[in-house]
Amino acid sequence: MSEPSTETQAAKTASAPPPAAHEGHGHEDHGHEAHDPIHAANPHLAHHFDTPQQQFDAGKLGIWLFLLTEVLFFAGLFCAYTVYRSMNPEVFVYAHYFLDTKLGALNTCVLLISSLTAAWAVRNAQLREQKMLMINIVVTIACACTFMCVKYVEYSHKYHDGLLPGHNFQPKEQIWELKSFRDKHPEAAEYAEKLAKLDEKKAEAPAGGAAKPSEGKAEEKAEKIERPTEEELEPLLNAGLVGPRSLDPSAHISRPRMAHVFFGIYFFMTGLHGFHVLIGIGIWIWMLVKAAKGQFGPTYFGPIDFTALYWHLVDLIWIYLFPLLYLIH
Amino acid sequence: MSDENPESKDNGPASDPEGSVKTTETTPTKAEAEALHMLAKGKPDEPTKNHRHDHGGAPHAHDDHGLAHTMPIPLLFGVLGALLVLTIATVSVTSIDLGHTGNLVVAMVIATIKAALVCTFFMHLFWDKKFHTVLFLTSVLFLILFLSMATADRGEYQHLVDEYRAQQLQVK
Repeated sequence: MSEPSTETQAAKTASAPPPAAHEGHGHEDHGHEAHDPIHAANPHLAHHFDTPQQQFDAGKLGIWLFLLTEVLFFAGLFCAYTVYRSMNPEVFVYAHYFLDTKLGALNTCVLLISSLTAAWAVRNAQLREQKMLMINIVVTIACACTFMCVKYVEYSHKYHDGLLPGHNFQPKEQIWELKSFRDKHPEAAEYAEKLAKLDEKKAEAPAGGAAKPSEGKAEEKAEKIERPTEEELEPLLNAGLVGPRSLDPSAHISRPRMAHVFFGIYFFMTGLHGFHVLIGIGIWIWMLVKAAKGQFGPTYFGPIDFTALYWHLVDLIWIYLFPLLYLIH
Repeated sequence: MSDENPESKDNGPASDPEGSVKTTETTPTKAEAEALHMLAKGKPDEPTKNHRHDHGGAPHAHDDHGLAHTMPIPLLFGVLGALLVLTIATVSVTSIDLGHTGNLVVAMVIATIKAALVCTFFMHLFWDKKFHTVLFLTSVLFLILFLSMATADRGEYQHLVDEYRAQQLQVK
């Protein structure tokens, strides 16, 4: 093992610890301090690793395996998104008018900048640039908090506007009242408004006709005739609000069927991502404490590197979420 | 496969002439890492408290064979700049009408370029062991398989959904 040619091999095999550590006293920790020069020289080298390199490589492989499972974890949600969007494209067109692209873009930039500071922090740790390391971790945490604040603003906005999943989907503002929609499709906005009034009338009709069933039926028939045909819906079709498959007379034509499912997907995807950001903030604070103790240097920077890798993955997921949810054409 | 890293080629011979007697495995990596540190700072650093095998403070020839590669700062900012430019591009391209799928494809292509930039540089995959790239791409492969199978399956049964909906309309 003392020959240079075999030493790298020996370093990689966990079964061959340095002889000093082996003889006499099994694997007691105090034994390492006194007799194992490598562990004595590296206070952050765990006793089950032989060298800092081995410890770092093992950790790196571990974090990559974890990131792999994270990708597969989010894959389920992306699958739900893909299937639902291919079935109901008009729902996504409809719902994206309720999302604020500016806030989404702001959050994208904030996360990208935090990714830079995270990658920079790894460099600082490798080079033992203590001060810059602390600054970069603090900036990363600040960016993460900014991201969560913007998310809070978005979520509370959605909550107040009744844009919630399932039964709670009761939009206070209608699509034709949204500036983003009006600017883009003024004709369709007017048309949708007209249709909505029609829907309202229709909703009142059965209630009025309940006393006299025969009259009510006649009224309903009249309403059905009044309903627009497919050609008449052209402005809405052009605006992408009505899919050719969603011409259901019983549904509100001014709002696509199952629009609420979009907000289920939206809240679940961004919520799970936000949860990852929160966990990331926690880990970065932990790293800040470790960095403040001056633990990181050329032979021990694994934790910073692995946290940064996790952080980049969170960024990666947002890179896909942003266009998929906010930038629908 | 992850065990065969460039170190076995580089570290041994590189630190051979300078290293006096090698009794432990740490000598090359630790020494290299210290040298990297000194190079980056431009001046010899105070020896760490655990300096056992001192090479006399002479910087080694290699500057990127510590425990891992160190990202140069200009590259960091260059990548960030590219990412921000691509973000602006993906937002502004939404206003151009390329059709429903056209816009989606463009957005996804831009997102994938951004993701590739983050993976290659911020996540060090460019300098890292290729095994990590293979690992990560495996997960992406299975993600694509998952999505395409689900989409193909959904397409297969679309006519049933359409028929059902048409029936529902007729009932009403």
